[in-house]
Amino acid sequence: MKVFDNLKKNHYYKIWFKDAWPYLTGAVLLSVFQIITLATTGNPWGVSGVLANWGAWLYQAVGGTVDKWYYFASEGAQRTLENGFLKDPGTMRNLGIILGALFSALIASGFKIKKIKSWKQVVAAILGGLLMGYGARIGFGCNIGALYSGIASLSLSGWVYGAFLFIGAIIGSKLLVKYFM
Amino acid sequence: MKEVELDCLGEACPVPLVKAQKKIEELEVGDVLIVQIDHSCAMKNLPEWAREAGHNVEIEEIDDGEWEVIIEKVK
Repeated sequence: MKVFDNLKKNHYYKIWFKDAWPYLTGAVLLSVFQIITLATTGNPWGVSGVLANWGAWLYQAVGGTVDKWYYFASEGAQRTLENGFLKDPGTMRNLGIILGALFSALIASGFKIKKIKSWKQVVAAILGGLLMGYGARIGFGCNIGALYSGIASLSLSGWVYGAFLFIGAIIGSKLLVKYFM
Repeated sequence: MKEVELDCLGEACPVPLVKAQKKIEELEVGDVLIVQIDHSCAMKNLPEWAREAGHNVEIEEIDDGEWEVIIEKVK
């Protein structure tokens, strides 16, 4: 259609939706939204903790209880679970991330369902996901909650986390080159 | 002068970049390497690396979410 052909050539469409934004723009926006998140919800930004709550709600939905689990024992955790899926700011934020990412890929006409290249990819993805999920919960935070929000809150733990994240990334890259090249 | 295609469809970053770096070493000056990608972050790091290494780079959009990074080895 002609409308879309014109849109494709539009300068503002290109710089706003098609091309990747500069890293600096991303950094400034993330900082602004971190401040807004802290001001409106009382907690800094976190992602993987919310996923643990999703797991708990899912478990409850099929008849399980997590009342006795040490991880969910605190009053705050219990309150979050009692309030439910739809009243959790973190849930809304995580859904927003997923929908926002989908929107940005669609509007840049960059959406594609990729084919799986090998079983190695599947094994690595599942294994990597499990390790990241387990690590994020046993460390009380992922690279958002523990690293980014930690450093933003002037906590030393964020820097310690960052140092070990770096070591992990080096080991991960070596493994990647060894198994996927 | 030959043209070599490197199929990196379905590969996540940084695999396309490392594969392209290895492949370009095998090529002669004047050869062209065409890297097929469908991971949008490779669209940033592949051309960045190739331009920094002094090669000529062009990006072509093949389809929704699919690109070819065309690298001419200059030195």
